[in-house]
Amino acid sequence: MTTFLKHSYAVAKNTFKEGVRDKIFYGIIAFAFVFITFTIFLGSISLGENVHIIRSIGLACIYLFGVLTTLFLGTTLIYKELERRTLYFILSKPIARGELVVGKFAGLLASVSVSLLGMLAVYLGVVWYEGGGFDLLGVLAVCYEVLELALLIAITVFFSTFSRPLASIIYAILFLYIGHSLGLLVEQATRTGGAFLHLSQALYYVLPNLDKFNIRDTIIYSTAPSVLGVALVVAYAALYTALLLWLSSLLLARREL
Amino acid sequence: MISVDGVSKEINGRVVVDGLNLRIKKGTVFGFLGPNGAGKTTTIKMLVGLNKPDAGSVTIDGKAPSVASAREQIGFMPEAPYFYEHLTGLEFITFCSQLFATHRASREEIDELLQKVGIFEARNNKITTYSKGMKQRLGFAQALVNDPAYIFLDEPLDGLDPIGRRALKTIIGELKAAGKTIFFNSHILFDTEELCDEIGVLHQGSLLYSGPINEFTRGKSLEEQFVATIETLTDVQDAR
Repeated sequence: MTTFLKHSYAVAKNTFKEGVRDKIFYGIIAFAFVFITFTIFLGSISLGENVHIIRSIGLACIYLFGVLTTLFLGTTLIYKELERRTLYFILSKPIARGELVVGKFAGLLASVSVSLLGMLAVYLGVVWYEGGGFDLLGVLAVCYEVLELALLIAITVFFSTFSRPLASIIYAILFLYIGHSLGLLVEQATRTGGAFLHLSQALYYVLPNLDKFNIRDTIIYSTAPSVLGVALVVAYAALYTALLLWLSSLLLARREL
Repeated sequence: MISVDGVSKEINGRVVVDGLNLRIKKGTVFGFLGPNGAGKTTTIKMLVGLNKPDAGSVTIDGKAPSVASAREQIGFMPEAPYFYEHLTGLEFITFCSQLFATHRASREEIDELLQKVGIFEARNNKITTYSKGMKQRLGFAQALVNDPAYIFLDEPLDGLDPIGRRALKTIIGELKAAGKTIFFNSHILFDTEELCDEIGVLHQGSLLYSGPINEFTRGKSLEEQFVATIETLTDVQDAR
């Protein structure tokens, strides 16, 4: 293993332990479990559409609670270390700031993925219990959610290198909102034309289009994405994530401690 | 050797360190003294690679500490350290050890180190349950985990009870006997006098003195001479 990987792995392991022992983490997970289980009730009052409703609301719940976990843990990830000066311990050791950023990202992604796995297990149990069998496409939808959350973690890491947690949460939510509205924005701008069209096209190419990670609506009707489609989405997430982590490393390297 | 050549550093438009020059030979225990805000912590941060100087250069055995690999031989204990709340003492020290390539401590070495600083029994407890003194000892342990040749300690004896201070002073004495170079900032001049071979006195970012203690004290206690020097300077500045 190279030094970069060794250092990043050590930081990731430490971040993972910190993440999964955080009370906020448990609070969100407990709430998510209750909510997903509650979909049984919602399904029962939906006149024969119970599995359809459970799949739709269950997958949305997993996504929502994944986003909440990411926002609460991600926006304090580097900021808290800068404020509390725990970074002094790490950065006085032979580790580069880029290794720290990658490690922090990987550790939080692992924590969030574990929470999603737990929620997914409950979701699959609920769908199976209601007669929907094993929801393989639901598993794929959650994998897509993990990709989007990886990108969101990279966004929160980026913001947490220079802004306070509350501001980072606001920026990340804006990013999330715009990221999911880009397609709609360009569609609207095409009708309007002019400067608005150029602006929305510029935003479309610069900002990540987060709707690419949302296959919840299509898989409900058992429409699976193609292998090429999956590969492109993975590459898309990897590219944006790498770019954001690189920018975070640059910002952290310039930062005075 | 630690070499500081013409180092200056500005923070928020204020000159915190101004043209600092220091030469500290290997195996020396060096006490860096100065009133609050003199620039001691800023200097130590540049020495361990946390910050870079605006002007001048810092080298340790000819290498700039801002280069990650040069920090293999450095141990640093920050002032009033904060720790990861959800880790145990053992997990924290293990994590610190994993950040080194050339000297990654074994489990036995980590246990030995925790025994040496007196927190072995509490190694599996979460750090949040540690007292201030125990945290100080843990901070000291992480600075030694790579068996460094150069050890930088920022106010290492702060917050320790007399027994804790005695224990840490004993360890510093052992490190000195083992030929380690120790650089520390301290307000506790009695301890500095007891431990150090040489001192540096910093005032408003400028070095007033650097050399053997006895040449500075001239028969007085270090505290008396230090207070007299700073007060004289302050009076001269006030008179202007």
